[in-house]
Amino acid sequence: MALVLVALAAAAGIGLARSASDHGRQDPVRAVAAGLRCPACQGESVADSRSPIAVAMRQVVADQLAQGQDRDEIRRWFVQRYGADVLTDPPARGVRLLLWGVPALALLAGGYAAVRTLRPRAGRARPAAPSMPDARGARRAWRVASVGVVALVVSVAVAADRLDPPARPVPADPVAVAVQLAHDLETQNRYDAAAQMYQEALRERPDDGVRLRLAFALLRAGDSTGAQRTAREVLAREPDSPDGLLVLGLAQRTTQAAEAATTLRRFLAVAPAHPAAAEIKRLLAAQPAPGGP
Amino acid sequence: MRRPALRRPGWLRGGPAVVLVLTAVVGTLVVLGLRAPAAPSPGEGLAVAGTPAPALSGPTLDGGHFALSDVRGQVVLVNVFASWCGPCRDELPLLVDAEREWSPRGVRLVGLNIRDGAEAVRALLDETGAKGLTVVPDPDGTRAVEWGVRGVPETFVVDRDGRLVDRRQGVVTRQWLEQRIAPLLAG
Repeated sequence: MALVLVALAAAAGIGLARSASDHGRQDPVRAVAAGLRCPACQGESVADSRSPIAVAMRQVVADQLAQGQDRDEIRRWFVQRYGADVLTDPPARGVRLLLWGVPALALLAGGYAAVRTLRPRAGRARPAAPSMPDARGARRAWRVASVGVVALVVSVAVAADRLDPPARPVPADPVAVAVQLAHDLETQNRYDAAAQMYQEALRERPDDGVRLRLAFALLRAGDSTGAQRTAREVLAREPDSPDGLLVLGLAQRTTQAAEAATTLRRFLAVAPAHPAAAEIKRLLAAQPAPGGP
Repeated sequence: MRRPALRRPGWLRGGPAVVLVLTAVVGTLVVLGLRAPAAPSPGEGLAVAGTPAPALSGPTLDGGHFALSDVRGQVVLVNVFASWCGPCRDELPLLVDAEREWSPRGVRLVGLNIRDGAEAVRALLDETGAKGLTVVPDPDGTRAVEWGVRGVPETFVVDRDGRLVDRRQGVVTRQWLEQRIAPLLAG
């Protein structure tokens, strides 16, 4: 029993030490960033997140470390701006403290009860002689219960390890990755490369949403015939697709101005509240009549 | 008659009651824990009203210079945006319209453009009819972090004395702007 307890405590200690030293050893920016919660994400630390805000926060941490600020000063700086929730381990207060306290108290109480039952007290040994079989039963109950608890903890630990990995491969959907990559390329104004990624994604899984983004990327890359072709593919299935009409009309402007005006008017008729509608109206107003020379 | 007393030492006699109390306590904690995130709404609940706005100064996209301290006396809308953010693209026309309408009464709109390229922003301003907008580029996003920005778009209202009045995460609405700005203009 004592051995089992010592082994459990040792294992817990090793686990804690390992998780604590995990981020301390490497670079100091990561160590501080790991203690900050990314405000734009769900349950990710600033060290792990790829969101632009988290990247900016890492930069701030690096700048402040370079200026000689220490970990606590930087954490305080972030708390002033983002509130205590920005810390991954906010100071325990109120209900949070209770959440730690109650299990600890329960463990202490259980341990005390176990010790009282398992260790026969010298003072009461003689008068309690008739109750010896009961005491033995109680001791047995305690042992069975403690073995049960240990078994439960071990099985949860094993099951948690088994359950974890299958969750990981799911986000690595090649199509989603390709679309995300293409999107990143677009933000860097690399529309050619983005169009290629979209085409790759479409080969894997045809999707009109991705096709429209491909059309926009082609248009921005200067390939207006490719953009027209792609937009027409979408319009063939969904003749009133606002984005399809929009990209087709914009692409036509380079080659057939008259048709472009017609297509863009249709776009305005289909989606008068579209974010681009105001701009298209201005475009059309600036141009001469559609049937002109 | 003595046996039951022997079988159950004094401290065990209250056992069921202790278990009951513990269960009730744990249950209450679980309920509190489940309800906790709803009570203090993170972010939006940050007490910003009345605190001095962080500094914001630097070169602008069109080669000029902007400093928040220079426009003291005006109501300033600070809009954090980026060309890679779709909702920002959608809300810019509304903000530009609001500035156009209220600028005679002392309202100023400033764009804090985070982690973006100059060309991409210019294209966005062209597309959304926001060409005249004062834009302070923040290529590494550190100015935005200084303002406690949680994501784009985010909009701050700064009063005539340079104090934060309110902030809005996500797209602003006409109604939100009117409710925040009208009282500041009246005073």
